Amino acid sequence: MAKVLIPTPLRQFAGKQDSVELEGSTVGEVLSALTTQFPDLKKQIFNDEGKLRSFVNVYLNDEDIRYLKKNETVVAAADTLSIVPSIAGGSTVAEPPVTTLSKDEILRYSRHLIMPEVGMDGQIKLKNAKVLLVGAGGLGAPLGLYLAAAGVGRIGIVDFDVVDFTNLQRQVIHGTKDVGRKKLDSAHDRMKDINPNVHIDRYDVALSSENALEIISSYDMVVDGTDNFPTRYLVNDACVILKKPNVYGSIFRFEGQATVFAYPGGPCYRCLYPEPPPPGLVPSCAEGGVLGILPGIIGLIQATEAVKLILGVGESLVGRLMLYDALAMKFRELKLRRNPECPVCDDHPTVTKLIDYQQFCGIPQHAPEPEFVEGDIMPAEVKAKLDRGDKFLLLDVREPHEYQICNIPSAKLIPLGDLPKRVNELDSSTEIIAHCKSGMRSAKAVDFLKQSGFKKVRNMKGGILAWSDQVDPSVPKY
Amino acid sequence: MIKIEPGAWQIMVDHAQSTFPDECCGVMLGTTEGDAKHVTTAIAVENAYKGKQEDRYEIRPEDLLAADKDARAQALDLIGIFHSHPDCDAYFSKTDLENSCPWYSFVVLSVKGGKFDHANSFRPNADQTIAEKEELIWPKS
Repeated sequence: MAKVLIPTPLRQFAGKQDSVELEGSTVGEVLSALTTQFPDLKKQIFNDEGKLRSFVNVYLNDEDIRYLKKNETVVAAADTLSIVPSIAGGSTVAEPPVTTLSKDEILRYSRHLIMPEVGMDGQIKLKNAKVLLVGAGGLGAPLGLYLAAAGVGRIGIVDFDVVDFTNLQRQVIHGTKDVGRKKLDSAHDRMKDINPNVHIDRYDVALSSENALEIISSYDMVVDGTDNFPTRYLVNDACVILKKPNVYGSIFRFEGQATVFAYPGGPCYRCLYPEPPPPGLVPSCAEGGVLGILPGIIGLIQATEAVKLILGVGESLVGRLMLYDALAMKFRELKLRRNPECPVCDDHPTVTKLIDYQQFCGIPQHAPEPEFVEGDIMPAEVKAKLDRGDKFLLLDVREPHEYQICNIPSAKLIPLGDLPKRVNELDSSTEIIAHCKSGMRSAKAVDFLKQSGFKKVRNMKGGILAWSDQVDPSVPKY
Repeated sequence: MIKIEPGAWQIMVDHAQSTFPDECCGVMLGTTEGDAKHVTTAIAVENAYKGKQEDRYEIRPEDLLAADKDARAQALDLIGIFHSHPDCDAYFSKTDLENSCPWYSFVVLSVKGGKFDHANSFRPNADQTIAEKEELIWPKS
């Protein structure tokens, strides 16, 4: 005789007993004896095919029979069998759409609700909307703040970066206290403070060909706040493949662009730019700079477009590229058409799955750290030469406005672009050590001077940034 | 109808708030008379879901078995399961329904910004295709 413990809710089918003693030498035999004696129990535990229902586990004493010999597990007289359900769940998948707003939400969104273009229906659409932000930087900052405030129900953020001081001039979702924190956490906290009703999914990864489809598929649309070409093409292609609108924005110095790509019937990023520019041709914000307010304006155009798409009101930027020039304070607009031969959004696309976008954009897989090349000189060695009073010329090839930020006092400033016409100011018999911000431009200067017949030219490795790190920490970094 | 006593309720709310922003889970013990369930104590159980727990929970069958033993030792019945929905309303999601079992009452606690907000109780049907809301009475403070 083995004992079978009956879970509370099933006792009504087992003569109200909490345990039953049954004959049988295996688990299968005991369970069969149980359902023979109490036929009503059968459909609670077994499915129509006579197998244990998916959520039912059977334990022999403390062991799951699946890890023993299942139904063939031998049962001794002193053994106890228990029927234990598997239980799990969660708020995540396929939430039923909400159909109402709470009293607090009605108060919070009242300035939306009194406009018929939004109203209760629109606000409920916003609450049911799921938007993915790629990047929590310049564009992601205003987007996160305003989409959360507007009541978008679920916002995913993809970012793997950490807040640093150079971000604070424009990435207003992060504060000085957040320097060193993950941008995801900093953005999450700020958005939750603005609107605790918003659910935020944090993806602490770089969006890649391996994860993009899975991440994006849970959302209604993507808002692209990235700053590099490989990710832009990746987001575009993934959105086209998944048929999700891609609300696009980009910024550089004083100018920005925004539009909506991959909307059904509309053009995609590849219709506009079939091929990426050669690497290095278009400078990034880190290289070329950006007016701190600019991402605010472009990000909020993107936020406006996202909200309009959710509400289904107004005229979206589908098929129109909005160009903004902050210095002229002018908006212009270009018509965009679908490219009938677009490799991704054409009716017979040649690109039907995600590719290697680093390679597509001509970026080497692992950009090799520039080696110490012949003619390089370390900042500490330059310092030693200065201290010894060696005769040489320290040549700064940066721009005058960079020289104003910080400089090495004995250096002579000739911007790289001016070098050809000012080369006669240099004495080829004196050793020349060139430097710039990080060592790239000065390497070009060294090449140029060598081609011009200078023999004693060297490049200070790592530029003034390395000087600040290795020689004089009082020199500010920018 | 399921009625929860203050002592049990305190355990459930404390657990839901302390695990925020992750989901919590646990079991409810008490007595049943006809359709009336009376929860007198609750046991917090570790969320065993392997992955982001912000919107998922899982109870190990071993933990459920141990809770059932506890209940029997106290001459109580295991009558329900509770879990939380952080920053989400207390509805019974599709995930909840598909991974539940029709035998128990499922109490969902909505926790918003780390504070308990509201709760509902659900009874999944035999095929776990729909869950009916059942009247839930908790001590209002």
